[in-house]
Formats: sequence, C-alpha cells, structure tokens
Amino acid sequence: MSSTPQGPGSRPGDRSARQAKIDAAAPKPSKAKPILIALVSIVAVLGVVAAVWFGTRGSQTDPAAAAPKGATGATGGIAVTTNAKAGAPTLDVYEDFQCPACMQAEAAVGPTIRKMAADGEAKVVYHMKSFLDANLGNDSSTRAALAASCSADAGRFQQFHDAVFAANTPEGQGYTDAQLETFATQSGVTGDALNTWKSCYSTKKYADYVKGVEETTAKAGVTGTPTFRVNGKDMDLSKVNDAAGFRAAVLAGGAASPTS
Amino acid sequence: MQVDGRPPARSGPGEDGSDAALPTADPSGRPEGRSARRTRILDGLGLPARLVLGGVLIVAGALKVGRPLVSARAVQAYQIFPFDVAAVIGYALPVVEIVVGAPLVVGLFTRVSAVVGGLLMLAFVVGIASAWARGLSIDCGCFGGGGEIGAAQTAYPAEIARDLGFALCGAWLALRPRTPFSLDARLGAR
Repeated sequence: MSSTPQGPGSRPGDRSARQAKIDAAAPKPSKAKPILIALVSIVAVLGVVAAVWFGTRGSQTDPAAAAPKGATGATGGIAVTTNAKAGAPTLDVYEDFQCPACMQAEAAVGPTIRKMAADGEAKVVYHMKSFLDANLGNDSSTRAALAASCSADAGRFQQFHDAVFAANTPEGQGYTDAQLETFATQSGVTGDALNTWKSCYSTKKYADYVKGVEETTAKAGVTGTPTFRVNGKDMDLSKVNDAAGFRAAVLAGGAASPTS
Repeated sequence: MQVDGRPPARSGPGEDGSDAALPTADPSGRPEGRSARRTRILDGLGLPARLVLGGVLIVAGALKVGRPLVSARAVQAYQIFPFDVAAVIGYALPVVEIVVGAPLVVGLFTRVSAVVGGLLMLAFVVGIASAWARGLSIDCGCFGGGGEIGAAQTAYPAEIARDLGFALCGAWLALRPRTPFSLDARLGAR
C-alpha cells in the first residue's frame, strides 16, 4: 500500500493546499476496497441468481396441462391428416405465426401441404413456435398460437392456420385480439363454437401447451422457422424448386434431403 | 499520491502506477524522466482498453438482459452444452457481462475484471470458431438476436476478429492494470 495518504508524521500543517485537496479526494483504501469487493460480489451473485430464476420460471410449464384436440402429445404438434395412406411419411411443419419466411413458404407450398394432408399422402403435423415474441418484444406469436389451439378444439385448426398466413401481416405488426377472432370466424368457428372459442382464448386455456411446444421443438433442434421435417429429418429446401418438387421430396420420405 | 514527500519502496519504474492519474505528484520532485513518461503513456493506453472492453460488455449485456429467452436460444443454437445447461448460461450471461463490464469502465478491480472479461471474450471466440467448424449457420447472438440464420448471412471471421480484439484489451489490462482516471488509483487498490 505505497499510496496510503495518511502516513505517519504527516500533519495537516505540513502540507500545501493542493496536497491537502488530493488527500481529501482520496478515500482510505483500507476501508473502501473490501466494501466495494463485497458490494460487487453481492450484486453479481444476486443478479445471476435473479436472472436464472426469472428465465427458468419463464420457460417452465405444467406437464399435466391440457393439449388441444388433435395434438400428438402434451407438447406435440397438431395432426391434421385423418385418412393417412399406409406408409405415408410424417411431415412435421414448424412455424411461427409472425415469421415472414413462414408466410412465404405457406404461399409457395401451403396448398400442396394441405392437399397432401387431405389426400392422406402425408401425416402432416403443425408445431406452433412462439419464439419470435422474444425477438420482436411482443406476444402475438403466443396469442395466435393460443387462438389456433382453441380453433383446433373446434376442429378448425387448418383453416385458422391458413387464414392467419393468408393475411400476410408484416413482421412486427402483430395481431390484435379482434383480428384473431376474425380469423376464427373466417375459419368457420361460429355460433356456440365461437362462444367456446372466446372463453378458451380469453382464459389462455392452452398457455402451457404453447409454451411447452416452443420448448420441446427447441429441444428437438428446431432453431429456425419454417422448418420442415420428413420422418424426423430436416428437409433441405434449397434443393426444392417448386411445389411439385416439395411433394416429391416429402413422398420420397425425405430421401431428397441430406441426413447430415 | 505520495503527498508527504516520502517515496515508497518501489521495485522499479512502472511497477507502481498508483500515481498515474496525478503525474505531477512525482515523489522525487524532479521533472519526470524518459522511463516515467513511457510508463505514463503505456498506462494511458489502458484507459481506452478499459472503456472499449467494459463498454462492449455492458452494451452486450444490456441488450440481452431483458430477453432471457432470446439469450437462452442463442446459447442453445451453438449446440455445445446440453439444452437446459445452455438455457441457464443464456440467462446468466447478460448479467455476468454487465457485472464485469461496469467495474472496467470505472477502473475498479481492473486486473481481475480484465482477466475475467478477456477470458469471456476468448470463450466466445472458441464458441464461434466451434460453430463455424461444425458447419452451423448461426448468428453469434453477441448483442441479442442469435440462432439459426442463412448460410450466406454468417459472419464468423468478423465476429472472431472483433472478439479477439476485445480479448487483447483484456490482456493489455491484465499486464498493465494501472490506468488513468480509475477508481483503483483513487482507492490505492491493487
């Protein structure tokens, strides 16, 4: 401690005014430093604990929470194919209702996917991701997924899903509650079913399900949207030129995509 | 800060820079010599190093701290740690960055903070290089964002070069922790 300002034999009268000022500006090191070390350490530990607690709480879900009609599991996607042919490949579609690339993909291959599901050519399962909420700082992906889950209960998942993407909402604009209700009525949820839908949506009945799907799909390695998987393997969309090529790749059981 | 004119025991020029912020308080009372001036200049370089490393850590932490899910997903995208471990790292990292960056900016515990900050940067470099080597297409997520991006959008060399630069700031400060306008100098801290 070479710079201890209060050395022995240093009396105020011995000093120049400037030195006294310097002295006054310098706190005693022996006291301030340990206090600061303690302070910074406490802030660091409390901050990290709080951040981990807050973050963990935000992604925790009730494993016993209800899943909407058509869900393949507690946090599974919504299966829309009801008459799958024998040996039909499973096509998992991972989308976020706010993702512009998903809207483009839907415009390009959406009708093909719908037809394959209707014809039983593929077991189509839609997984609703809601990660863009965190990126965009809103909650529209989650609310749209909640609304879609309620529509699934009414047997109108596909129609609701198509209505949302057909609206082509610019990224970041999000969806109002009224808009989502309009999508529901457009998809054919009316009368008593609409009342059920409204209560399902307003009570956030499937909040845990939607959160769980986001976690489960992320855990399964789906880090971007849209992602298409055929029998569990990522499709390489760069090798797909058009809707017909997409259908061929799906029917090939993902054979056209690299297994990486 | 040898205000009473008693030079302390010093092991050589540059070893004791606690008076760097007040160069005219040279205990010898003589005009500063060449080696003293060199020491002062080299110590002076520590100030921008502190502000750059500390500043970038604070900014990076602040951009992510309010969005734990984004940060968790960014770490998970590296596919280095198990999913849940990566999430915890993602939650904690922004706070760690701020807690390390803030002392650097004010020059508190400079050497320890610089070592931790520099090691953080080296860890980022290793992570980014690993993602690059494994053929992942991700954003480093350094300032928020992160996750999968198009292969053409990746910027691995630039990200690595940038973080190496920050790591060098940390290395410099670890070697020369005495810098002007630092709380360390004010407190006489080591």
